[in-house]
Amino acid sequence: MALFRTAEIIKASKLPPEGVKLSRMIDAVYFLPIAYLGVFATFHMHFDLLAGDWDFWVDWKDRQFWVTVTPIVEVMYPGAIMYYFWTFYRQPFGATLSITGLLVGKWITIVFAWYWWANFPANFVMPATMVSSALILDCTLLLTRSWMLTAIFGVWAFAMVFYPTQYAIFGYSKQPMVVDGQLLSLADYMGFTYVRTGTPEYIRIIEVGSLRTFGGHTVWISAFFSAFVSMLVFTIWWQIGHFVGQAFFWVKGRRGVMSRMNDVMIVGTDDFARRHGTPDGVAPKLSAAGTFAEGKS
Amino acid sequence: MNAKNIFKVCVIGSLGMATLGLTLAFNASIAAAHGERSQEPFLRMRTAQWYDTKWNPQKTAVNDEAMLSGKIHIAEDWPRAVVKPNRTFINVGSPSSVFTRLSSKVNGTPMFTSGPMELGGDYEYVIKLRGRLPGHHHIHPMLAVNGAGPIAGPGGWMDITGNYKDFTNPAKLLVGGTIDTEVAGLAAGLFWHVLWGGLGFAWIGWFMIRPMFLIRARVLAQEGGDALLNDPVDRIVAFGMLGLTFSLIAVGFFTTDHTYPYTVPLQAGEPKIKATHLRSDLTMKVLAADYDVPGRALRMTLQVTNSGETPLSIGEFTTAGIRFLNKVGVANNLDPNYPAEIMAQDGLHMEDESPINPGETREVKLDSRDSLWEVQRLMDLVNDPEQRFGGLVMSWDASGNRHINSIAAAIIPVFTRAAGI
Repeated sequence: MALFRTAEIIKASKLPPEGVKLSRMIDAVYFLPIAYLGVFATFHMHFDLLAGDWDFWVDWKDRQFWVTVTPIVEVMYPGAIMYYFWTFYRQPFGATLSITGLLVGKWITIVFAWYWWANFPANFVMPATMVSSALILDCTLLLTRSWMLTAIFGVWAFAMVFYPTQYAIFGYSKQPMVVDGQLLSLADYMGFTYVRTGTPEYIRIIEVGSLRTFGGHTVWISAFFSAFVSMLVFTIWWQIGHFVGQAFFWVKGRRGVMSRMNDVMIVGTDDFARRHGTPDGVAPKLSAAGTFAEGKS
Repeated sequence: MNAKNIFKVCVIGSLGMATLGLTLAFNASIAAAHGERSQEPFLRMRTAQWYDTKWNPQKTAVNDEAMLSGKIHIAEDWPRAVVKPNRTFINVGSPSSVFTRLSSKVNGTPMFTSGPMELGGDYEYVIKLRGRLPGHHHIHPMLAVNGAGPIAGPGGWMDITGNYKDFTNPAKLLVGGTIDTEVAGLAAGLFWHVLWGGLGFAWIGWFMIRPMFLIRARVLAQEGGDALLNDPVDRIVAFGMLGLTFSLIAVGFFTTDHTYPYTVPLQAGEPKIKATHLRSDLTMKVLAADYDVPGRALRMTLQVTNSGETPLSIGEFTTAGIRFLNKVGVANNLDPNYPAEIMAQDGLHMEDESPINPGETREVKLDSRDSLWEVQRLMDLVNDPEQRFGGLVMSWDASGNRHINSIAAAIIPVFTRAAGI
């Protein structure tokens, strides 16, 4: 017994063997050079503009703003990309693709810009990783097959596991130390000791506000707040994906009337030709029944 | 290809070769400063007045310590166009972190975070550094003002010798032990990034090994396509991936929590640094000032009163970290290590150089004249939106005691030789 349903799926696609081979070439060309590089380049820029400094520096990773801002910004692209891959292909890797793409961009920046060019040690500019959150989001969509349930449960978990995931990477930097009689965390000291001429200390947006009134559980209050905002943001970006990801044709019928065809998969089929005619000089062999049933998109 | 196209290709090819040739023929010189001269004169002359700046020693080795120290007077005549120094940070202007900063004290108070400074206040800063990246570096003290940006102080050259690979930056922890900030947490960070990245790529790869787009789209468009694409094995893998993800998060969190039981949040306080104030037996009032554009000179007429008990001689005028001295200034305040390119040892002139006696009020014509006005781009003063200048005038008594006055006034540009005070 085969592991996958691949044979059944290929059979159902009614593509000839050369069509199947061509589709795999399209997969390769479209996925890696176009989809993946496009996502990592644009998402990286998008993220750096909205939440860059919290991710650049170890001494910006506080209990409030870092925990709040990062999931909200990182759930945006996954929302739109997940819509696209799920709606058109039922592929549940939109979030993981977005987040790993973002990390590829970040690590290129860390190695070439921060480490080789600006001479900062890699631990000082280590980024956060939300691959764990992305995996939860993608798995939730695959298992629930509902974007609404994904927004409620998946996105909530997406934001809530952010801090525990990062703690394994950045926990060391919260160790206390005393310098010149002042208590500092190691992260504070690293921010102080590595001179940043153009980024003076007051640029840091950290630990400001009254969240400490919640018994000192600042991280979890921030995470809850972030989770709720992330749900809203995910929903908005899912709809942005819907808006941007619409596919339709304007076709001219037999009597010259232009009409909008939302079902892009039917274009070029015999059924389409029977209903809408064909371009001049093209005479399709019309079968008694359409090749395709009425499609849905 | 016809003759016209061949001609076009030859022209384009020739241009390309010429461009390549130019690239090889001309070498762009190294940029070794921070564009401090491009800061507008009113920003440099009327905000932070730097004096007694020292780069010590000027040559150091990797891992050895050095000191950047000096004093800064926050001008009373702070420009309206610049945000007031309510939140400031004494910084180091350097090409990347060529030194690590070990401590920074302003008037004896540690300045790890930013704090307010007082207009008219004086602050002495001592920044302890450790050589990190070998090279010949231009180092500035720098006053960063929230809302206004960094204001560069005078720049001096510091050399670091040795090998970067030998550099370590040990930091002593409160709970015991020492950690090297260069590599602290690096291995754990890389491990988790590789692990999560590997899982992420594995998840994507799981779907890449099967038809991804066209075939699935065609099947999805059919009745029953959605159900066909809902492969049971994917659901099993998804459950497994969820379990693995939550397990790894828990293991990472609790292991780290166990490893580092004592932690503190980022510290975001604000040092309240008490200012000192300039001391002088002289009172000075600028009666008139002009800027002689062709003569590269700032000429001012001061009304000076000595209310002290000893005669005082004016010896230095300093602004924007640039020093204009006469013989008195050279005798009392010449630091041989101060960068020569921002100091004019014969740049200060007076009609009457005799000391100002106790109780005397005199009109002093003070003329600071040197090409430094142009080289350091302070002559761009004529393009400022508010034509005023500021600076410090230093005087000495016979015993070498220094008296410092902060002055500021409107200034009139003189564009031709014929005009003047």
